[in-house]
Amino acid sequence: MPDTSASEPIIQLREVVKTYHSEAGDYTALKGLNLEVYPGEFLGILGKSGAGKSTLLNMLSGVDQVTSGEVLVRSAEGVIALHTLDENALALWRGRNMGIVYQSFQLLPTLSLMENVMLPIDLCGNYHPRRSRERAMELLRMVELEEHARKIPAFISGGQKQRVAIARALANDPPIIVADEPTGSLDSVTAEHIFELFEKLVAAGKTIVMVTHDQGLMPRFTRYKILADGAWVEEMP
Amino acid sequence: MRPRWKKVLTDLWDNKARTLLVVLSIAIGVLAIGVIAGAYVIIDADMSVSYAAHNPANLELRMQDFDTDLLDAVRHYHGIADAEARRAISLSVRPQGSEVWTKLDFIAVQDFKENRINLLTPVEGADQPHNGEILLEEDARDKLGVAPGDVVEVRLRDGTIKPLRVAGIVQDPTTSAADFLAAPLAYVPDDSLPDLHQPQTFNRLYITLDSGQDDEDHIREMLFTVKDKIEKSGYYVGFTRRSKTHQHPLASTVNAVLGILMALGVLIVFLSSSLIANTLSALLQQHMRHIGVMKLVGGRNYQVLGMYLVLMLAFGLLALLIAVPLGGQGAYGLALFIANSIGFALQGYRIVPLAFVAQIAVGLLVPLVAGLAPVLSGTRITVLQAISGDPARFGGGVSESLIDRTLLRLTQALARRGIHTPRPVLISIRNTFRNKRRLALTLFTLTMGGAIFISVFNVRTSLYRFVQQVGNYFLADVSVDFSKSYRIHKVESYIKQVPGVVAVEGWTYATAEILYPDGSLADNINILAPPANTSLVSPLMVAGRWMRPDDVRKLVISESILDAYPDLQPGDTLRLKIEGKEETWEVVGIFKFVGLEGTLGYAPYEYLSRAQNRANRAFSYRVITEEHDRAYQNLMRQRLDASLRAHGFQVEDTTAGLASLDDASESLDILITFLLIMALLTATVGSMGLAGTMGMNVLERTREIGIMRAIGGTDTRIMGIVITEGLFIGLISWVLADILSVPFSYFLSGIVSRAIFNTPIQVVFTPTGFGLWLGLVIILSSLASVLPAYNAARLTIREVLAYE
Repeated sequence: MPDTSASEPIIQLREVVKTYHSEAGDYTALKGLNLEVYPGEFLGILGKSGAGKSTLLNMLSGVDQVTSGEVLVRSAEGVIALHTLDENALALWRGRNMGIVYQSFQLLPTLSLMENVMLPIDLCGNYHPRRSRERAMELLRMVELEEHARKIPAFISGGQKQRVAIARALANDPPIIVADEPTGSLDSVTAEHIFELFEKLVAAGKTIVMVTHDQGLMPRFTRYKILADGAWVEEMP
Repeated sequence: MRPRWKKVLTDLWDNKARTLLVVLSIAIGVLAIGVIAGAYVIIDADMSVSYAAHNPANLELRMQDFDTDLLDAVRHYHGIADAEARRAISLSVRPQGSEVWTKLDFIAVQDFKENRINLLTPVEGADQPHNGEILLEEDARDKLGVAPGDVVEVRLRDGTIKPLRVAGIVQDPTTSAADFLAAPLAYVPDDSLPDLHQPQTFNRLYITLDSGQDDEDHIREMLFTVKDKIEKSGYYVGFTRRSKTHQHPLASTVNAVLGILMALGVLIVFLSSSLIANTLSALLQQHMRHIGVMKLVGGRNYQVLGMYLVLMLAFGLLALLIAVPLGGQGAYGLALFIANSIGFALQGYRIVPLAFVAQIAVGLLVPLVAGLAPVLSGTRITVLQAISGDPARFGGGVSESLIDRTLLRLTQALARRGIHTPRPVLISIRNTFRNKRRLALTLFTLTMGGAIFISVFNVRTSLYRFVQQVGNYFLADVSVDFSKSYRIHKVESYIKQVPGVVAVEGWTYATAEILYPDGSLADNINILAPPANTSLVSPLMVAGRWMRPDDVRKLVISESILDAYPDLQPGDTLRLKIEGKEETWEVVGIFKFVGLEGTLGYAPYEYLSRAQNRANRAFSYRVITEEHDRAYQNLMRQRLDASLRAHGFQVEDTTAGLASLDDASESLDILITFLLIMALLTATVGSMGLAGTMGMNVLERTREIGIMRAIGGTDTRIMGIVITEGLFIGLISWVLADILSVPFSYFLSGIVSRAIFNTPIQVVFTPTGFGLWLGLVIILSSLASVLPAYNAARLTIREVLAYE
């Protein structure tokens, strides 16, 4: 377990509010949330559907903008206030510093598994034909999909797709991984394998924030927080 | 290959139908531009080169018979480079064994070897006929259907039939280059003239100038000088024509027609660009998640934009691969077709750099310009909007539109009156208006295609109607010309004895020159003089009145006089040089006629016959028969010819109907065919747009279709909804096309008629275009919807609900 008292938080949310405006009226999904995530943590964020979990994940990955408050992330470039970056800067920062895994995998259907994994390397300007290929193969080997490297996503199972998504999240070797219900659409055996993969990554020094509604996973996080109606209701330990 | 470029490649390859749709829509426009631009450049260059290479006469004088003494004298006039003399006669010819006579203009050439002006190009067989032989111009060969070695029969003016062997086929781009209604040409050596019962003298003089051959003012001045000298030598000149060496007389007409085709080509490019915009917009919508994923893993706007710009360039390059080679071939093919139709030679197959560059520019720029807006908006989408797959949910905005509200109110109002619109029909109608931008672009493409299609039929009818109206100046079923004048009462009594004759009129005519106030030549005029109350002329009056029996030196004149005297009005006078005498004539009316044929005038027989000292006598007679079809006219021509000759009349020629108007209609057919091809291309682009739209609509609604099937929608019902939507779009476009075709018809017919007839014509609307387009749009809409509908219906519920 990481020593949260000794180190600086790698992610910090301060009084984060997110309100959606629509013709039906305003809806506040996050109500002044504070959060600190420490290096090496495997933080679980739990809650029921509509609690604001995915919204929170979008805030700390820079996928969505806060209505008020701050999201600060520590990386090689120093502490970055995500809400101050424009779309392009955020994309580059995210590609280098944060891997994201979704429940629906979000692989590009026309690219092979290896090309899907190489895509972040290409887009973040680190592409080198041979080295990128080796890196992608290394990651696919890690997720035990080396022999499927040239297949397209349509020809592999859901669990395999999620492992490719994890490999892709690690392509640029980011210190942080965020995962939104990564086991939500998988059967229990496959979900277990995926979870074990995340545990291995934490053991290897990655910081992981995972959103899930599965309360059975609570004991396996180094820390978890429960969200309801856009506000924290419980934190353990 | 970098993953991002691999994605571009697979986007091109994996959805072949979409790639084909975009590539073909670009290629059609590029092809049209390449063919027309290439043909334009080839014709522009080769027409004048070919024309000049045949050393065309700068001056042509059709005159009273003359001999080599005058020719030698003319050759020594100051400013003359060369002169040649020929004899032109009009005779009817038929292939041996045939009953159908074709009128040809025979040109007797002094020495084919020494021919230096209006040169002939050998096409087939010999190029120098001997006595008893004839050379035929390509057009004459086509009309007669003969080949070198065949024998044709010539009907001489006394009725004798003279066989001549076809020695060869030639091309003559110069002799009747400007005559819209000219008869096809044939050439004989002048020592065969006695065998044709013709004097061995000349009646046409062809002159080239030693300088200023392309200077209009100099040529006119020289014509004035030469003609004056010839007339002072005691010869009567009936008709003159002047021509530049390096400008084919029909160059401006051909260029104008090609200009119209080019305008339609540009329109096709424009229409295809809206199809491209639509398809790319749909592609970007389908790729929204892909864009989101790329941005999620580090992709910046410019990188994503770059990928889609490369994709658009690839569409353009693929289109160029198809369109450029075809365009080069098509351009030469079109140029060759026009060259053969007009009668000049091309300088050989070649790639036209301008057309090549224009095709590349259009092929690459059109997809970029058309696709830029959808690509820019697509690539600017935020990660959140893209990943959610619902841009409206995060900032796109959703609201009920005016059309939705109107439809709702309409169906509610109908329901209150007990009219219940079937639910599937309502779904189809609402679906039609769901993606309004796409609907607008589809309607625009289909409407423009339809409007052009309908307009071409209106223009076609207007042109044919005008040719028919021109025929109203020549309504006779049979024309009979004698080589001497006879008393009208005598001829009339004999002609009326022939069964089938209804009426007969004796006509006279005169040729004259219209002079400018300084005495120089403004224009030539042929004055026809039927009886003032003739039933054989139905003039299209533009101003003033028709002639009266008591008119003296009064003239009804064709509209082309306005080229020389733009402000001329009825009541004004003109100086005419008629049969050597200068006279002042009053213009009492102006009528519409084919401008290219020169100026035509009508004066009453009652006056002109007296002025020519031939009162109650005539050389030329017009006969009306009981029936007016071509076969009956031919039969009556034969009967009249035989009967009059049997009674001892010196018949020079008898002609059925007006064959030259058939030739004019054939020329129009060629133009109409080109216009129809362009109209069909625009219609094809339009229907491709509709097919693409329906395909995209169904693809985007795959999940909805799955839900409908899950709650009981049958295959037939689902196909019905999709096809009804396609038909609904087609019918909306038909209504819009009908409206738009009105100004289009006026515009197109104005340009075409000015180019061909040198005068605007009355636009006639025909139900054919509207009806045909309605039928086509129903067929095209159904076809465009059937495949997407079938695809939608055959998916299983599991497949559609799993669709992403």
